[in-house]
This record gives sequence, structure tokens and C-alpha cells, in this order.
Amino acid sequence: MNWKLIFSRDSLHLWIVSFLVVAGGSVFVWGRGQLVPETYGEQGPYRAAALEKLALKPSVLVADSVCLKCHADVGEERAESLHKAVSCNHCHGLGREHVAQAQQAAKTPGLAIDPAKKWDGNFMTHVDLFITQDRATCLVCHESTVGMPEGFKQINVAEHLEDMGPKKSTAETSASSATWDTTRHRDFR
Amino acid sequence: MIQENNDTGGGCGGTCNKSSCGCPSDEMTSRRQFLQRASTVTIGAMSFTILPVAMGDGTESQFPMANGKGAPNEGEQLFGFLVDSDKCIGAGKCLTACRTENDVPEGSHRTWVERYVHFKDGTLQVDTVPETGFAGSDFPIIDPQLVDRSYFVPKLCNQCDDAPCNQVCPVHASFTSPQGVELVDPDRCIGCGYCVQACPYGGRFINPETNNADKCTWCYHRVMRNEKPACVEACPVDARVFGRLDDPNSEISKRIAKIPTDVLKEHLGTHPKTRYAGISGEVK
Repeated sequence: MNWKLIFSRDSLHLWIVSFLVVAGGSVFVWGRGQLVPETYGEQGPYRAAALEKLALKPSVLVADSVCLKCHADVGEERAESLHKAVSCNHCHGLGREHVAQAQQAAKTPGLAIDPAKKWDGNFMTHVDLFITQDRATCLVCHESTVGMPEGFKQINVAEHLEDMGPKKSTAETSASSATWDTTRHRDFR
Repeated sequence: MIQENNDTGGGCGGTCNKSSCGCPSDEMTSRRQFLQRASTVTIGAMSFTILPVAMGDGTESQFPMANGKGAPNEGEQLFGFLVDSDKCIGAGKCLTACRTENDVPEGSHRTWVERYVHFKDGTLQVDTVPETGFAGSDFPIIDPQLVDRSYFVPKLCNQCDDAPCNQVCPVHASFTSPQGVELVDPDRCIGCGYCVQACPYGGRFINPETNNADKCTWCYHRVMRNEKPACVEACPVDARVFGRLDDPNSEISKRIAKIPTDVLKEHLGTHPKTRYAGISGEVK
């Protein structure tokens, strides 16, 4: 190793250049570290922490499997039903409050579970365990509409009322107040 | 090299005192040597700055993309979604479920249902199904006598393998999860809206409450707990099927094997993962 050459006056230029390159590179690496967020790049070109945050969001809609944990008898009853694909929350509301209450009641003996509510317009909290089976219950899905698949049971309201015979009263046919007439309808549960 | 230097040294010859005179000598550097050494030093210094970047943090990544190589979706794709247009009745239950589950503000939608009505005179009408379904709305009733064929098409994020929305995001807030779901990082998104424009399916919107880009995530938070997405849970006729494609016994794998399915706008090369059954070419 020729030390005289390395520390000679002419080599100073090389030393300056290398210093600048190293210093510039260090500033770049440091700055990049400051700007790149934590956990970025651990799993891909994104913040891995975002996956966890998104996955931790609480579920709102109560799955049928949750309902059937307590109400297994209803599940068995409905196993052969035409409407077995229709989920519980369809008619009973969301049930999140109901499940929360049930979980609370399981821990605290003697605590009663709120049985039923009138429709309060809040889809988030509403649990109507004794649904009013009125016209809307059927027609929300079954009212004949252009676009429905051919095999699907469709009800043309005017024709249907005619088929079912003369009206009993005017109240019975008004959309909101007409109640399920068990003598004239099969139980489609 | 030194020998050559001496031979071509010129003026000073062998007479000068090496330590004191300023003449070129065998101790001095030729142009060639200077360039060689300078390039060595420069390349060495450059590799010093590049190395930490290329090495990353040293952890083995699940995706090769983390090291700047390969495509993000080379890994195993887990989730799949099938929309069966032959079954959809347009009740709109999925719309309410999605809005409730994901706090989607009124006026925006993560999923929507379109109705395609082909009239006998050759015209096509496309409507958007209201959340109550057509039956519960004051939408003008179409005379079935005039209709040749008609069907409902539920739409949602197509979760493309080569997602244009991801490519344009300036802050990498839009990304593909290891399960193949396109997600938005709420802490990184700056709400610039590039991805909203980039999506050829209109699947994204800027959420006016959070000012972030928002989109269907196949209910990522639910499916990671083995629950179904809200719209799938709410659908009364199984028109929406969600499941794992890597499991041949899952319902979606069986359905896709049984019926012909299609993707939307295949010519764009976005390779969507949401598959559609029973649609015709007019559906875009």
C-alpha cells in the first residue's frame, strides 16, 4: 500500500468526491427512513399494519350461525323450508343488540333478554322477534317485477287478490295494516 | 504501469529528486490510473448507499414485490366472489346490509344492483335498483309485454389482479392484501381521487365523512373471521356466493366448476376476481 500516494495533495480530490458521495447517500438513506411509514414493505408495497386495522373492524350484521347457536330448534324447523336461504335478520332485524344482551345474560343469571320491539326504524338495533307477517313481508321479494328470473315465485297483487276470493274487509287489503291470514295462506316459514 | 510511466515521463528524465521536484514520476498517477481508482471509489461509495435499500430490513417477505422484484399477485389467491345474475330478484337486501355493515353514507355505494331490460324493439334500458327494491319504490312500472328479456346484475368491486386503482395511488394506500382483496389504508389515503378515476368499473368513491377513498372490500373484517360478507349473508336467493377458491369443496369452487362464468371488461386486462354468471355481453 502506497500511503504517500493515498494522502498526497492530488488524492484530495478523490477524498472530497468520496466524502460527498458517502454523505449524500447517508442523507438519502436517513431521509428515506423518515418518510417511509412503519411496517411498510413487510408483506408488500403497503403498510402491513393497515391489514390488521381493517380486519379489527367489528362485524355489524349477525350471521345466521350466531342465531342458531341458541335457536337451533328454529334452524331444524326451517331446514326443509322453502325459505331456508332467507337469513334471520331479513325479517327479524339486525339482532346485534339482541346478541349482546344474550351474551350479557349468559354471564349474569337472572338478567332478562328484551323480547321484542315495535319497529323503531333503526335497522342497526331493531329486533322484532315476533314479526308482523303482513303483505310487505312477502312482497318485498315476491312482488312481480320486470327482471326477475323466470323460475322465481312472483305475485301479481291484483291477480293474487282475485285468486284468493272476495275481500273480507277493506282494512285487510291496505298495504300497511293487512295482517297474515293464517286461514288463507300456508305457513311459509 | 510504473515502467511505462518512466519511459514516457518526458522532461524530467532520471535527474530530478523524486521527493522535492513537481515532475511526473513513478510515484505520480497517470490519467489511466486516476480514472481506474476514481471509478473504484465511486462505485464502492455508491454500493454503500444502495445496499441498505436493496437489502430491506432483512426479513423474508411473503411477497417478492417487497424487494422490488416480481408482481404482487404471484402468491396464492384465496378468496373468490361469484355473482349469479340468473338468481338475483332485485330485492335490494344486499344494499341495505352493505350500507349498515360498512357505514356507507347516503348517496354513495360500495355495491349496487343494475337492471338490464331488453325491449322487443331492440332498445336497452339500464336502471339502478333502489334500496327497497322496485316493488317498494315509486319507480315507473315497465309493461312486461314490451320486454324481450331482462335480468338484474349486482355490481361490486371486481378485486382485479392487475388493479388500475392500485397502480395510480401516489402514496401506496391502495393495495392488494395477501388474500387477493383490494384494500384502502385509511391512515395513508390522502383522498386525491386518482383511484376513483382509474377504476373502469366505477367501484370506488370518496367517502365524504372520512375523505378517504372507499370501496367494497368483500367485507374484509368479516371474512377474516370466517363470516360471509354482509351482502352474501343478506341475499335471500344465493345470488352472491363468496368463498375460498383454493378449497375445491367450497360452494364457490363447485358453482364455478358447474356453470359458465365471465368477468367484466375482460379486454382491459385487469384480471378481475369477481366472476359473473348469467350475464350477456351488454353488461359492462
